[in-house]
Amino acid sequence: MTEMQQAMAALQGTGTTPHRGRGTTSDLSIDEILLLHSMGWEPVDLVFGVSWWSIPWGVWQWQTGEIAEASTAFAGAMDEASGLLREECARTGGSGVVGVEIGIRVSSHHIDLTLSGTAVRRVGDTKPSFEFISDLSARDFVLLTRAGWWPLGLAAGASFVVAPRRSARQWAAQKGQNVELPNLTEALYLAREKAMERMQQSGLGMQAEGVVDVKLREGPLGYNARVMQFVAVGTAVHLRDGAHRSVQPSMVVSLDDRVRQFDVKKLRSGGN
Amino acid sequence: MADFASCLSLGMEPAGFVQGFAVMQWSWYSGYYRTAGGFGGMGGWTVPRGQGQYAEEWRCPHGFVGAEHRTYGFNAEQAWLEKSWAEGWGLAYRRMVEEAAEAGAHGVIGIVDDMHYLTGGQTAEFRISGTAVRGARRRAAPHPVHDAPVRATTDQAAGGGVCPGVGGRHPELGADDRLLHHPLPVGRHRGSVPATGCRAGSPGSTPSPRSTRHSGAARHLAREHIRQQIGTDSLHGATFEQFEHEVGEGDMAIQCLVKGTRVRQFKDFDPLPDADPVVRLT
Repeated sequence: MTEMQQAMAALQGTGTTPHRGRGTTSDLSIDEILLLHSMGWEPVDLVFGVSWWSIPWGVWQWQTGEIAEASTAFAGAMDEASGLLREECARTGGSGVVGVEIGIRVSSHHIDLTLSGTAVRRVGDTKPSFEFISDLSARDFVLLTRAGWWPLGLAAGASFVVAPRRSARQWAAQKGQNVELPNLTEALYLAREKAMERMQQSGLGMQAEGVVDVKLREGPLGYNARVMQFVAVGTAVHLRDGAHRSVQPSMVVSLDDRVRQFDVKKLRSGGN
Repeated sequence: MADFASCLSLGMEPAGFVQGFAVMQWSWYSGYYRTAGGFGGMGGWTVPRGQGQYAEEWRCPHGFVGAEHRTYGFNAEQAWLEKSWAEGWGLAYRRMVEEAAEAGAHGVIGIVDDMHYLTGGQTAEFRISGTAVRGARRRAAPHPVHDAPVRATTDQAAGGGVCPGVGGRHPELGADDRLLHHPLPVGRHRGSVPATGCRAGSPGSTPSPRSTRHSGAARHLAREHIRQQIGTDSLHGATFEQFEHEVGEGDMAIQCLVKGTRVRQFKDFDPLPDADPVVRLT
Protein backbone atom coordinates (compact mmCIF):
# COMPACT_ATOMS: atom_id res chain seq x y z
CA MET A 1 0.00 0.00 0.00
CA THR A 2 1.46 3.37 -0.97
CA GLU A 3 1.69 6.24 1.50
CA MET A 4 -1.03 8.03 -0.41
CA GLN A 5 -3.36 5.05 0.03
CA GLN A 6 -2.41 4.77 3.69
CA ALA A 7 -3.27 8.42 4.18
CA MET A 8 -6.59 8.06 2.38
CA ALA A 9 -7.47 5.06 4.50
CA ALA A 10 -6.61 6.97 7.67
CA LEU A 11 -8.87 9.84 6.62
CA GLN A 12 -11.74 7.47 5.96
CA GLY A 13 -11.23 5.75 9.29
CA THR A 14 -10.44 2.40 7.72
CA GLY A 15 -6.68 2.55 8.11
CA THR A 16 -4.41 2.51 11.11
CA THR A 17 -3.16 5.59 12.86
CA PRO A 18 -0.34 5.80 15.38
CA HIS A 19 -1.68 5.74 18.90
CA ARG A 20 -2.14 9.33 19.97
CA GLY A 21 -3.73 10.87 22.98
CA ARG A 22 -4.91 14.43 22.82
CA GLY A 23 -4.45 16.18 19.49
CA THR A 24 -2.01 19.05 19.30
CA THR A 25 -2.72 22.56 18.16
CA SER A 26 -0.18 25.00 16.83
CA ASP A 27 0.22 28.09 14.74
CA LEU A 28 3.32 26.64 13.09
CA SER A 29 3.52 25.79 9.42
CA ILE A 30 4.03 22.16 8.42
CA ASP A 31 7.61 22.97 7.42
CA GLU A 32 8.29 24.39 10.87
CA ILE A 33 6.85 21.30 12.58
CA LEU A 34 9.08 19.03 10.51
CA LEU A 35 12.05 21.26 11.25
CA LEU A 36 11.36 21.00 14.98
CA HIS A 37 11.07 17.22 14.68
CA SER A 38 14.40 17.06 12.90
CA MET A 39 16.05 18.42 16.03
CA GLY A 40 13.99 16.30 18.42
CA TRP A 41 11.26 18.79 19.39
CA GLU A 42 7.51 18.72 18.86
CA PRO A 43 4.63 21.18 19.24
CA VAL A 44 2.24 20.65 22.13
CA ASP A 45 -0.43 23.31 22.20
CA LEU A 46 -1.38 26.88 21.45
CA VAL A 47 -0.88 29.00 24.53
CA PHE A 48 -1.86 32.55 25.43
CA GLY A 49 -1.14 35.22 27.95
CA VAL A 50 -3.31 38.31 28.09
CA SER A 51 -3.14 41.26 30.43
CA TRP A 52 -4.95 44.56 30.69
CA TRP A 53 -3.71 47.38 32.90
CA SER A 54 -5.58 50.58 33.49
CA ILE A 55 -4.02 54.03 33.25
CA PRO A 56 -5.48 56.82 35.41
CA TRP A 57 -7.54 59.50 33.73
CA GLY A 58 -5.82 62.69 32.70
CA VAL A 59 -2.20 61.57 32.79
CA TRP A 60 -1.71 62.33 29.12
CA GLN A 61 -3.19 65.82 29.32
CA TRP A 62 -1.74 67.48 32.38
CA GLN A 63 1.96 66.74 32.32
CA THR A 64 4.95 66.68 30.02
CA GLY A 65 7.92 64.37 29.98
CA GLU A 66 7.67 60.66 30.56
CA ILE A 67 4.26 59.34 31.61
CA ALA A 68 5.43 57.02 34.34
CA GLU A 69 1.94 55.57 34.83
CA ALA A 70 1.83 54.35 31.22
CA SER A 71 5.35 52.94 31.30
CA THR A 72 4.55 51.16 34.57
CA ALA A 73 1.32 49.80 33.12
CA PHE A 74 3.21 48.39 30.13
CA ALA A 75 5.81 46.72 32.35
CA GLY A 76 3.08 45.30 34.59
CA ALA A 77 1.06 44.01 31.66
CA MET A 78 4.14 42.42 30.10
CA ASP A 79 5.05 40.69 33.35
CA GLU A 80 1.53 39.43 33.90
CA ALA A 81 1.03 38.22 30.33
CA SER A 82 4.43 36.48 30.32
CA GLY A 83 3.59 34.85 33.63
CA LEU A 84 0.25 33.59 32.32
CA LEU A 85 1.89 32.28 29.15
CA ARG A 86 4.48 30.49 31.21
CA GLU A 87 1.85 28.94 33.49
CA GLU A 88 -0.17 27.75 30.55
CA CYS A 89 2.88 26.31 28.83
CA ALA A 90 3.75 24.33 31.95
CA ARG A 91 0.14 23.18 32.32
CA THR A 92 0.01 21.82 28.77
CA GLY A 93 3.28 19.96 29.20
CA GLY A 94 5.52 22.25 27.18
CA SER A 95 9.01 23.32 28.08
CA GLY A 96 9.14 26.46 25.97
CA VAL A 97 7.09 28.71 23.72
CA VAL A 98 8.21 29.64 20.21
CA GLY A 99 6.87 32.10 17.69
CA VAL A 100 5.25 34.32 20.28
CA GLU A 101 3.21 37.02 18.64
CA ILE A 102 2.95 40.19 20.63
CA GLY A 103 -0.12 42.37 20.39
CA ILE A 104 0.13 45.73 22.09
CA ARG A 105 -2.63 48.28 22.28
CA VAL A 106 -2.26 51.58 24.04
CA SER A 107 -5.35 53.66 24.57
CA SER A 108 -6.04 56.69 26.71
CA HIS A 109 -7.07 54.75 29.78
CA HIS A 110 -5.64 51.28 29.40
CA ILE A 111 -2.87 49.18 27.91
CA ASP A 112 -3.59 45.66 26.81
CA LEU A 113 -1.04 43.13 25.82
CA THR A 114 -1.58 39.76 24.19
CA LEU A 115 1.03 37.05 23.81
CA SER A 116 0.25 33.94 21.81
CA GLY A 117 2.53 31.17 20.61
CA THR A 118 3.07 27.44 20.41
CA ALA A 119 4.30 25.46 23.39
CA VAL A 120 6.98 22.96 22.41
CA ARG A 121 8.91 20.20 24.14
CA ARG A 122 11.48 17.52 23.41
CA VAL A 123 9.85 14.51 21.76
CA GLY A 124 8.66 12.06 24.38
CA ASP A 125 9.52 14.31 27.32
CA THR A 126 6.62 13.64 29.67
CA LYS A 127 7.77 15.84 32.56
CA PRO A 128 9.47 18.82 31.00
CA SER A 129 10.64 21.77 33.04
CA PHE A 130 9.94 25.24 31.77
CA GLU A 131 12.86 26.75 29.85
CA PHE A 132 12.00 29.75 27.68
CA ILE A 133 9.59 32.07 25.93
CA SER A 134 10.67 33.41 22.57
CA ASP A 135 9.26 35.49 19.78
CA LEU A 136 11.63 33.77 17.36
CA SER A 137 9.94 31.67 14.69
CA ALA A 138 10.53 27.92 14.82
CA ARG A 139 13.01 28.37 11.96
CA ASP A 140 15.01 30.96 13.86
CA PHE A 141 14.80 28.88 17.03
CA VAL A 142 16.38 25.93 15.23
CA LEU A 143 19.05 28.15 13.69
CA LEU A 144 19.82 29.79 17.03
CA THR A 145 20.22 26.51 18.89
CA ARG A 146 22.35 25.03 16.14
CA ALA A 147 24.68 28.00 16.50
CA GLY A 148 25.10 27.18 20.20
CA TRP A 149 22.76 29.81 21.66
CA TRP A 150 19.60 29.36 23.68
CA PRO A 151 16.58 31.63 24.16
CA LEU A 152 15.75 32.66 27.71
CA GLY A 153 12.69 34.86 27.59
CA LEU A 154 11.14 38.02 26.23
CA ALA A 155 13.04 41.19 27.05
CA ALA A 156 10.89 44.29 26.75
CA GLY A 157 11.00 47.98 27.50
CA ALA A 158 8.62 50.83 26.80
CA SER A 159 8.40 54.52 27.42
CA PHE A 160 5.73 57.09 26.69
CA VAL A 161 6.71 60.75 26.62
CA VAL A 162 4.53 63.82 26.19
CA ALA A 163 6.36 66.56 24.29
CA PRO A 164 5.94 70.11 25.64
CA ARG A 165 3.99 72.57 23.51
CA ARG A 166 5.86 75.29 21.71
CA SER A 167 5.44 78.78 23.06
CA ALA A 168 3.31 81.20 21.09
CA ARG A 169 6.46 83.10 20.16
CA GLN A 170 8.15 79.95 18.86
CA TRP A 171 5.06 78.95 16.97
CA ALA A 172 4.83 82.34 15.30
CA ALA A 173 8.54 82.43 14.48
CA GLN A 174 8.50 78.97 12.93
CA LYS A 175 5.28 79.36 11.04
CA GLY A 176 5.86 79.02 7.31
CA GLN A 177 9.40 77.67 7.73
CA ASN A 178 10.93 74.28 7.18
CA VAL A 179 12.50 73.63 10.56
CA GLU A 180 13.03 70.79 12.95
CA LEU A 181 10.61 70.57 15.86
CA PRO A 182 13.06 69.88 18.68
CA ASN A 183 10.35 69.32 21.29
CA LEU A 184 9.10 66.27 19.37
CA THR A 185 12.59 65.04 18.43
CA GLU A 186 13.70 65.26 22.05
CA ALA A 187 10.57 63.49 23.25
CA LEU A 188 11.25 60.64 20.83
CA TYR A 189 14.88 60.41 21.93
CA LEU A 190 13.91 60.41 25.59
CA ALA A 191 11.39 57.63 25.00
CA ARG A 192 13.96 55.66 23.05
CA GLU A 193 16.65 55.95 25.73
CA LYS A 194 14.30 54.83 28.48
CA ALA A 195 12.77 51.95 26.50
CA MET A 196 16.09 50.54 25.29
CA GLU A 197 17.56 50.81 28.75
CA ARG A 198 14.60 48.92 30.21
CA MET A 199 14.84 46.22 27.58
CA GLN A 200 18.56 45.80 28.30
CA GLN A 201 17.88 45.65 32.04
CA SER A 202 15.21 43.06 31.40
CA GLY A 203 17.74 40.95 29.45
CA LEU A 204 20.42 41.34 32.10
CA GLY A 205 17.90 40.22 34.71
CA MET A 206 17.65 36.92 32.82
CA GLN A 207 21.46 36.53 32.68
CA ALA A 208 21.31 37.03 28.92
CA GLU A 209 24.27 37.83 26.73
CA GLY A 210 22.19 39.58 24.13
CA VAL A 211 18.75 40.36 22.82
CA VAL A 212 17.95 39.29 19.25
CA ASP A 213 15.15 39.89 16.78
CA VAL A 214 14.22 43.13 18.50
CA LYS A 215 11.03 44.65 17.20
CA LEU A 216 10.48 48.36 17.61
CA ARG A 217 7.32 50.35 17.69
CA GLU A 218 7.90 54.07 17.77
CA GLY A 219 6.25 57.34 16.89
CA PRO A 220 3.25 59.32 17.97
CA LEU A 221 0.27 57.65 19.55
CA GLY A 222 -2.71 57.74 17.24
CA TYR A 223 -4.92 59.94 19.32
CA ASN A 224 -2.33 62.47 20.47
CA ALA A 225 0.49 63.61 18.20
CA ARG A 226 2.42 65.06 21.15
CA VAL A 227 2.71 61.67 22.87
CA MET A 228 5.74 59.77 21.65
CA GLN A 229 5.87 56.05 22.28
CA PHE A 230 8.83 53.73 22.01
CA VAL A 231 8.39 50.01 22.63
CA ALA A 232 11.19 47.48 22.16
CA VAL A 233 10.67 43.72 22.50
CA GLY A 234 13.06 40.92 21.64
CA THR A 235 14.31 37.51 22.73
CA ALA A 236 17.03 37.40 25.37
CA VAL A 237 19.62 34.77 24.42
CA HIS A 238 22.40 32.98 26.22
CA LEU A 239 25.49 31.27 24.79
CA ARG A 240 24.99 27.76 26.02
CA ASP A 241 27.79 25.72 24.57
CA GLY A 242 30.67 27.98 25.54
CA ALA A 243 31.38 29.21 22.04
CA HIS A 244 29.45 30.26 19.00
CA ARG A 245 29.24 27.54 16.35
CA SER A 246 29.41 28.87 12.83
CA VAL A 247 26.64 27.75 10.55
CA GLN A 248 27.77 27.30 6.97
CA PRO A 249 24.78 28.04 4.78
CA SER A 250 24.54 26.86 1.18
CA MET A 251 23.83 29.44 -1.47
CA VAL A 252 20.74 28.85 -3.58
CA VAL A 253 19.31 30.76 -6.50
CA SER A 254 15.52 30.76 -6.67
CA LEU A 255 14.08 29.83 -10.02
CA ASP A 256 10.60 31.08 -9.26
CA ASP A 257 11.26 34.82 -9.06
CA ARG A 258 8.57 37.12 -10.23
CA VAL A 259 9.18 37.90 -13.91
CA ARG A 260 9.99 41.54 -14.47
CA GLN A 261 7.37 43.15 -16.61
CA PHE A 262 7.77 46.25 -18.73
CA ASP A 263 5.27 48.69 -20.04
CA VAL A 264 5.01 48.45 -23.85
CA LYS A 265 3.50 51.91 -24.10
CA LYS A 266 6.68 53.39 -22.65
CA LEU A 267 8.72 51.92 -25.51
CA ARG A 268 6.40 53.51 -28.03
CA SER A 269 6.67 56.92 -26.44
CA GLY A 270 10.44 56.83 -26.19
CA GLY A 271 10.50 55.82 -22.54
CA ASN A 272 8.80 58.96 -21.27
CA MET B 1 2.50 27.65 -11.21
CA ALA B 2 4.60 26.16 -8.42
CA ASP B 3 1.44 24.92 -6.68
CA PHE B 4 0.14 23.45 -9.91
CA ALA B 5 3.41 21.67 -10.69
CA SER B 6 3.66 20.31 -7.15
CA CYS B 7 0.16 18.92 -7.34
CA LEU B 8 0.98 17.05 -10.52
CA SER B 9 4.23 15.70 -9.12
CA LEU B 10 2.26 14.34 -6.17
CA GLY B 11 -0.09 12.51 -8.47
CA MET B 12 -2.98 14.91 -8.02
CA GLU B 13 -4.64 17.04 -10.65
CA PRO B 14 -6.97 20.01 -10.30
CA ALA B 15 -10.60 19.12 -10.89
CA GLY B 16 -12.26 22.50 -10.56
CA PHE B 17 -12.48 25.79 -8.74
CA VAL B 18 -15.18 25.24 -6.15
CA GLN B 19 -17.05 27.71 -3.98
CA GLY B 20 -19.69 27.82 -1.29
CA PHE B 21 -21.77 30.73 -0.03
CA ALA B 22 -24.28 31.39 2.72
CA VAL B 23 -25.96 34.58 3.90
CA MET B 24 -27.11 34.67 7.50
CA GLN B 25 -29.09 37.14 9.49
CA TRP B 26 -28.83 37.57 13.22
CA SER B 27 -29.67 40.16 15.78
CA TRP B 28 -26.68 40.86 17.91
CA TYR B 29 -28.04 41.52 21.33
CA SER B 30 -31.72 42.17 20.78
CA GLY B 31 -33.65 41.50 23.91
CA TYR B 32 -31.17 38.99 25.11
CA TYR B 33 -30.42 40.52 28.43
CA ARG B 34 -33.47 42.75 28.71
CA THR B 35 -35.88 39.86 28.75
CA ALA B 36 -33.70 38.23 31.31
CA GLY B 37 -33.66 41.17 33.67
CA GLY B 38 -32.27 44.00 31.61
CA PHE B 39 -29.52 46.50 32.07
CA GLY B 40 -30.54 48.77 34.86
CA GLY B 41 -33.73 46.84 35.51
CA MET B 42 -35.12 46.41 39.00
CA GLY B 43 -33.55 43.01 39.28
CA GLY B 44 -30.13 44.19 38.21
CA TRP B 45 -28.20 42.39 35.51
CA THR B 46 -28.94 38.82 34.78
CA VAL B 47 -25.90 36.92 33.68
CA PRO B 48 -26.72 34.41 30.93
CA ARG B 49 -25.67 30.95 31.98
CA GLY B 50 -26.17 28.08 29.57
CA GLN B 51 -24.97 24.60 30.19
CA GLY B 52 -21.18 24.58 30.14
CA GLN B 53 -21.18 28.23 29.15
CA TYR B 54 -18.50 30.56 30.45
CA ALA B 55 -19.80 33.31 32.75
CA GLU B 56 -18.22 35.30 35.56
CA GLU B 57 -19.55 38.15 37.65
CA TRP B 58 -18.03 40.61 40.05
CA ARG B 59 -19.62 42.11 43.13
CA CYS B 60 -19.38 45.78 43.97
CA PRO B 61 -16.50 46.39 46.38
CA HIS B 62 -18.58 49.03 48.21
CA GLY B 63 -21.07 46.51 49.52
CA PHE B 64 -24.80 46.74 48.95
CA VAL B 65 -25.80 50.06 47.39
CA GLY B 66 -28.64 48.94 45.15
CA ALA B 67 -29.74 45.92 43.18
CA GLU B 68 -28.20 47.22 39.99
CA HIS B 69 -25.08 48.39 41.72
CA ARG B 70 -24.43 45.11 43.41
CA THR B 71 -23.45 43.09 40.37
CA TYR B 72 -21.39 45.73 38.69
CA GLY B 73 -19.69 43.60 36.09
CA PHE B 74 -19.86 40.31 34.35
CA ASN B 75 -18.31 38.42 31.47
CA ALA B 76 -20.47 36.01 29.55
CA GLU B 77 -20.08 33.79 26.53
CA GLN B 78 -22.61 34.33 23.74
CA ALA B 79 -23.18 30.70 22.85
CA TRP B 80 -26.22 31.45 20.70
CA LEU B 81 -24.15 33.69 18.44
CA GLU B 82 -21.36 31.13 18.24
CA LYS B 83 -23.92 28.63 17.05
CA SER B 84 -25.28 30.96 14.35
CA TRP B 85 -21.80 31.75 13.14
CA ALA B 86 -20.86 28.06 12.94
CA GLU B 87 -24.07 27.37 11.06
CA GLY B 88 -23.32 30.03 8.44
CA TRP B 89 -19.78 28.89 7.93
CA GLY B 90 -20.83 25.23 7.91
CA LEU B 91 -23.45 25.84 5.22
CA ALA B 92 -20.95 27.55 2.93
CA TYR B 93 -18.41 24.85 3.59
CA ARG B 94 -20.81 22.00 2.86
CA ARG B 95 -21.89 23.64 -0.39
CA MET B 96 -18.27 23.90 -1.51
CA VAL B 97 -17.68 20.24 -0.63
CA GLU B 98 -20.80 19.22 -2.59
CA GLU B 99 -19.49 21.10 -5.59
CA ALA B 100 -16.15 19.31 -5.25
CA ALA B 101 -17.93 15.95 -5.03
CA GLU B 102 -19.77 16.72 -8.25
CA ALA B 103 -16.41 17.37 -9.87
CA GLY B 104 -15.18 13.94 -8.81
CA ALA B 105 -12.56 15.33 -6.49
CA HIS B 106 -10.80 13.61 -3.61
CA GLY B 107 -10.24 16.81 -1.75
CA VAL B 108 -10.05 20.59 -1.81
CA ILE B 109 -6.82 22.52 -1.33
CA GLY B 110 -5.84 26.16 -1.07
CA ILE B 111 -9.03 27.06 0.71
CA VAL B 112 -9.71 30.73 1.28
CA ASP B 113 -12.65 31.80 3.39
CA ASP B 114 -14.11 35.13 4.28
CA MET B 115 -17.04 36.66 6.11
CA HIS B 116 -18.31 40.19 5.72
CA TYR B 117 -21.40 42.14 6.66
CA LEU B 118 -23.85 43.11 3.97
CA THR B 119 -26.08 45.55 5.82
CA GLY B 120 -24.83 46.94 9.07
CA GLY B 121 -24.16 44.20 11.56
CA GLN B 122 -27.32 42.25 10.91
CA THR B 123 -26.60 40.27 7.76
CA ALA B 124 -23.41 38.39 7.10
CA GLU B 125 -22.16 36.64 4.00
CA PHE B 126 -19.87 33.62 4.30
CA ARG B 127 -17.86 32.52 1.32
CA ILE B 128 -15.37 29.72 0.90
CA SER B 129 -13.46 28.74 -2.20
CA GLY B 130 -10.68 26.39 -3.12
CA THR B 131 -9.35 24.11 -5.79
CA ALA B 132 -10.83 20.63 -5.94
CA VAL B 133 -8.20 18.01 -6.70
CA ARG B 134 -8.31 14.33 -7.51
CA GLY B 135 -5.79 11.56 -7.84
CA ALA B 136 -4.68 11.58 -11.44
CA ARG B 137 -3.43 8.04 -11.65
CA ARG B 138 -6.31 6.03 -10.30
CA ARG B 139 -10.05 5.96 -9.91
CA ALA B 140 -11.46 7.81 -6.99
CA ALA B 141 -11.75 5.72 -3.84
CA PRO B 142 -14.82 6.07 -1.58
CA HIS B 143 -14.59 9.36 0.22
CA PRO B 144 -17.01 12.15 0.98
CA VAL B 145 -15.45 14.36 -1.66
CA HIS B 146 -15.40 12.46 -4.95
CA ASP B 147 -17.20 9.98 -7.18
CA ALA B 148 -18.21 11.97 -10.21
CA PRO B 149 -16.58 12.68 -13.55
CA VAL B 150 -14.37 15.73 -13.89
CA ARG B 151 -16.49 18.72 -14.73
CA ALA B 152 -13.90 21.43 -15.19
CA THR B 153 -10.21 21.90 -14.77
CA THR B 154 -8.41 24.89 -13.41
CA ASP B 155 -4.87 25.73 -12.50
CA GLN B 156 -5.92 28.07 -9.76
CA ALA B 157 -4.74 27.20 -6.30
CA ALA B 158 -6.38 29.80 -4.14
CA GLY B 159 -4.36 30.64 -1.10
CA GLY B 160 -1.31 28.88 -2.48
CA GLY B 161 1.53 27.60 -0.44
CA VAL B 162 0.05 24.21 0.29
CA CYS B 163 1.42 22.02 -2.44
CA PRO B 164 5.05 23.18 -2.46
CA GLY B 165 5.45 22.05 1.12
CA VAL B 166 4.16 18.64 0.21
CA GLY B 167 6.17 17.93 -2.86
CA GLY B 168 8.05 14.92 -1.64
CA ARG B 169 10.51 16.67 0.58
CA HIS B 170 8.73 15.67 3.76
CA PRO B 171 6.45 12.73 3.09
CA GLU B 172 6.47 11.69 6.72
CA LEU B 173 3.38 13.58 7.73
CA GLY B 174 1.31 12.26 4.89
CA ALA B 175 0.59 14.57 2.05
CA ASP B 176 -3.01 13.50 1.75
CA ASP B 177 -3.78 14.63 5.22
CA ARG B 178 -2.98 18.13 4.33
CA LEU B 179 -4.50 17.98 0.90
CA LEU B 180 -7.78 16.44 1.84
CA HIS B 181 -8.52 18.04 5.12
CA HIS B 182 -9.80 21.48 5.49
CA PRO B 183 -9.54 24.59 7.58
CA LEU B 184 -11.95 24.58 10.47
CA PRO B 185 -13.40 27.73 11.78
CA VAL B 186 -14.09 26.66 15.19
CA GLY B 187 -14.34 28.94 18.07
CA ARG B 188 -16.11 32.13 18.52
CA HIS B 189 -16.79 33.90 21.71
CA ARG B 190 -18.72 36.89 22.68
CA GLY B 191 -18.39 38.28 26.09
CA SER B 192 -19.62 41.38 27.75
CA VAL B 193 -17.57 43.46 30.09
CA PRO B 194 -19.30 46.54 31.46
CA ALA B 195 -16.58 49.15 31.65
CA THR B 196 -18.75 51.48 33.66
CA GLY B 197 -19.84 51.05 37.23
CA CYS B 198 -18.07 51.78 40.46
CA ARG B 199 -14.39 51.31 40.91
CA ALA B 200 -12.44 50.67 44.04
CA GLY B 201 -10.48 53.78 43.15
CA SER B 202 -6.74 53.70 42.60
CA PRO B 203 -4.49 56.63 41.78
CA GLY B 204 -1.86 54.73 39.78
CA SER B 205 -1.72 52.15 37.03
CA THR B 206 -3.47 48.98 38.09
CA PRO B 207 -4.20 45.59 36.60
CA SER B 208 -7.70 45.15 35.15
CA PRO B 209 -8.59 41.57 36.08
CA ARG B 210 -12.05 41.64 34.49
CA SER B 211 -10.72 42.74 31.13
CA THR B 212 -7.76 40.40 31.38
CA ARG B 213 -10.00 37.43 32.07
CA HIS B 214 -12.50 38.48 29.44
CA SER B 215 -9.93 38.78 26.69
CA GLY B 216 -8.15 35.62 27.77
CA ALA B 217 -11.40 33.68 28.01
CA ALA B 218 -12.27 34.44 24.38
CA ARG B 219 -9.06 32.83 23.18
CA HIS B 220 -9.26 29.90 25.54
CA LEU B 221 -12.86 29.15 24.61
CA ALA B 222 -12.05 29.30 20.93
CA ARG B 223 -9.18 26.90 21.42
CA GLU B 224 -11.34 24.51 23.45
CA HIS B 225 -14.06 24.56 20.80
CA ILE B 226 -11.39 23.54 18.31
CA ARG B 227 -10.28 20.75 20.57
CA GLN B 228 -13.79 19.37 20.77
CA GLN B 229 -13.93 19.20 16.98
CA ILE B 230 -10.57 17.66 16.19
CA GLY B 231 -10.53 14.89 18.79
CA THR B 232 -7.21 13.10 18.48
CA ASP B 233 -6.27 14.87 15.25
CA SER B 234 -4.09 17.96 15.29
CA LEU B 235 -4.62 21.49 14.12
CA HIS B 236 -1.64 23.28 12.60
CA GLY B 237 -1.06 26.63 10.99
CA ALA B 238 -3.70 28.13 13.25
CA THR B 239 -4.46 31.80 12.95
CA PHE B 240 -6.24 33.96 15.48
CA GLU B 241 -8.41 36.90 14.69
CA GLN B 242 -9.75 38.90 17.56
CA PHE B 243 -12.24 41.71 17.15
CA GLU B 244 -13.53 43.99 19.83
CA HIS B 245 -16.24 46.54 19.72
CA GLU B 246 -18.31 48.63 22.06
CA VAL B 247 -21.92 47.56 22.18
CA GLY B 248 -23.33 50.43 24.18
CA GLU B 249 -23.68 51.28 27.86
CA GLY B 250 -19.95 50.74 28.30
CA ASP B 251 -20.12 47.10 27.29
CA MET B 252 -17.54 45.52 25.08
CA ALA B 253 -17.88 42.42 22.95
CA ILE B 254 -14.84 40.36 22.09
CA GLN B 255 -14.96 37.94 19.23
CA CYS B 256 -12.18 35.43 18.68
CA LEU B 257 -11.94 33.34 15.56
CA VAL B 258 -9.45 30.49 15.17
CA LYS B 259 -8.78 28.74 11.92
CA GLY B 260 -6.21 26.20 10.84
CA THR B 261 -5.68 22.95 9.00
CA ARG B 262 -6.76 19.73 10.64
CA VAL B 263 -4.09 17.10 10.21
CA ARG B 264 -4.31 13.37 10.86
CA GLN B 265 -1.13 11.41 11.35
CA PHE B 266 -1.26 8.05 9.59
CA LYS B 267 2.19 6.76 10.47
CA ASP B 268 4.99 7.50 12.89
CA PHE B 269 7.58 10.09 12.03
CA ASP B 270 10.49 8.71 10.09
CA PRO B 271 13.86 9.99 11.29
CA LEU B 272 14.42 13.37 9.76
CA PRO B 273 17.85 14.61 8.73
CA ASP B 274 19.09 17.98 9.89
CA ALA B 275 17.87 20.67 7.57
CA ASP B 276 20.52 22.44 5.51
CA PRO B 277 20.59 26.18 6.13
CA VAL B 278 20.50 28.10 2.88
CA VAL B 279 20.84 31.69 1.80
CA ARG B 280 18.55 32.59 -1.05
CA LEU B 281 20.29 34.76 -3.62
CA THR B 282 17.36 36.91 -4.68
